[in-house]
Amino acid sequence: MALRDVGLTFGRRPVFDGLSCDFPRGRITVVMGGSGSGKSTILRLIGGLQRPDRGSIRVAGQEISGLGEIELSQVRQRLGMLFQNGALLDSMSVFENVALPLVEHTRLSAGEVARRVHERLESVGLSDVDDLLPGELSGGMLRRVAFARAIVMEPEILLCDEPFSGLDPPNVSRIEALLVHLKRDLGLTIIVTSHHMASSLRMAEQLILLQRQGLALIGTPAELAASRDTTIAEFIGEDGAAFLARHRDPMVAGRDEQPR
Amino acid sequence: MQSSNAMRDLAVGIFALLGLLAIGYLTLQIGGVSLRPSEGIVMFATFDDIGGLSSRSPVRIAGVKVGRVEAIELDDDLRARVRMLLDQGLELSVDTAAAIRTSGLLGDQFIALEPGAEDELLGNGDVFSFTESAWNVDALVGAVVHGSADDDEKDD
Amino acid sequence: MIGWIRELGARTTAGVEALGRIVVFGALIVRAIFLRPSRIRFVLAAIFDSGVLSLALICASGATVGFVLGLQLYNTLSRFGAEESLGTAVGLSLIRELGPVLTGLLVTGRAGSATTAEIGSMKATEQLDGLRMMAIDPIHFVVMPRAVALSIAMPLLSAIFVLFGIFGAYLIGVEMLGLDSGSYVSSLENSVEFRDDVLQSLVKSVVFGMLLGLIATWRGYSCEPHAKGVSRATTSTVVTASVCILLADYTLTALWGV
Repeated sequence: MALRDVGLTFGRRPVFDGLSCDFPRGRITVVMGGSGSGKSTILRLIGGLQRPDRGSIRVAGQEISGLGEIELSQVRQRLGMLFQNGALLDSMSVFENVALPLVEHTRLSAGEVARRVHERLESVGLSDVDDLLPGELSGGMLRRVAFARAIVMEPEILLCDEPFSGLDPPNVSRIEALLVHLKRDLGLTIIVTSHHMASSLRMAEQLILLQRQGLALIGTPAELAASRDTTIAEFIGEDGAAFLARHRDPMVAGRDEQPR
Repeated sequence: MQSSNAMRDLAVGIFALLGLLAIGYLTLQIGGVSLRPSEGIVMFATFDDIGGLSSRSPVRIAGVKVGRVEAIELDDDLRARVRMLLDQGLELSVDTAAAIRTSGLLGDQFIALEPGAEDELLGNGDVFSFTESAWNVDALVGAVVHGSADDDEKDD
Repeated sequence: MIGWIRELGARTTAGVEALGRIVVFGALIVRAIFLRPSRIRFVLAAIFDSGVLSLALICASGATVGFVLGLQLYNTLSRFGAEESLGTAVGLSLIRELGPVLTGLLVTGRAGSATTAEIGSMKATEQLDGLRMMAIDPIHFVVMPRAVALSIAMPLLSAIFVLFGIFGAYLIGVEMLGLDSGSYVSSLENSVEFRDDVLQSLVKSVVFGMLLGLIATWRGYSCEPHAKGVSRATTSTVVTASVCILLADYTLTALWGV
């Protein structure tokens, strides 16, 4: 999966000007950057929700920048996306929300659907919430239900927009562990946007740091921390650097791809 | 969840039924469309001037409604030929006269049939030989001003 | 001067472009009607929201308009000694014009605005994008059922409005002002034609329903994804749909040749 020379302008403001980056298969890539730097936009480009003005976007080996909605929906069946505020349908119960992709795209029996939905809900630490409406949930629960919905179809690629913001520490660890588990045991390619420094640095096998004017610094957390670039030092901060010095993450050791 | 869905469906069902009944009532009763082919005797009458008569105007005998106007068209002599549908079993003698009258001063116009005295009866598809056209207001005013109704207003 | 002409040209282009988008959107809705799985349950739910919940408003407004027509027309007609024609006057004005038009305007305010607000806020909270990412077409899942529901509910509501109006005028004319009940009913039934009056009324209300369905869903679907955008879209639905209904009413009346 890769972006090549992508340019995108909102109104008069250029968001990306010739952005290129790869997302290695079966790895966790964390996209960081200040607000307005286009973190979420990268995910929307990959999901086909936003079309680039120029450049190419390959998802699962397929060029998607020229596809129509019908072909895009074929590609999207292999994608799961977690939106920042959940994007649950507020007229449907939690159960119906999580079951929706299964009901729409599979011919599973009602019992099997219920089994899978409950399995997913339990994996994010929720039970007995079936009949609640999204409006009755707290922000953290909402996020976890949305997470369950994003992975219920067992996608190959998981896009997560700010999965940690507004969660309490136990839930941050839970989601983080779940992401690592999905990657390791099911081989998912995961792209996460985040402000959450500690968890980002812990999980990331590749870090993309977006800057103004659509430039990006790409590397492993260790590589970025080692560089002398002042913006990186500013962004990661002393705490982050100290954190990295303590944990030379074993997950990074066996890398087979050299990030650009 | 199930029961609230069922309630909602019931409400939608009742709403649709009410709406369809309203459309049906407007069409059949007020609009006068009949589902069965209309039964009755068809008769014709020719007038010089039908005034404000229109299809679906009533046909009355002594004020009692016995049928309605079905169609109005021009015949070869450029006179108005009115086709009416009268109640089944109505027995009218051959010298029955058809006149266009107005209910009230400015009300709706209708055809008044005045039964005659002959023994012979009119049948389905026959033509009334005695007709009286509508009074139009110009002629009426003229009649009042000149002191007598013009004979042009009567034919036959 | 050149600048002024250029401005005019730019606006014309933008207008034609916007119209083109709406037409494409309408075509997508029509296409979605025939897509599998059928969304009949969603259509029913939307008919409940826009039809059943508007019923009380429509009945009350219909009866009130009937009262007013009964009073006004009776007073005017009796000046000419033609109060016998009350049924004709009430029936024709309600069936041909007031029923479909007033129902169209009332439903625009009651259900059209709600439809825009609902779809708009679904867009603002990324629910539509969420559906897309689950490979579910939001036009099929969200937009089509609501547009179809408005098109179905409108003629039903309009017919109910007309009947309540006729009944309201009956109450005033016959029960209160002492007109003969038979002459009210017979002047009504004798003057109303199916093709010219009842059919015209039905065609109008169906057209108004489709117009409102298209405009209300389009405004919601294309609104700017924030609270301000949703409120602007809602206002715009009421204004645009009302003007379109009045223009369409004039056009249909003229085309009908009555």
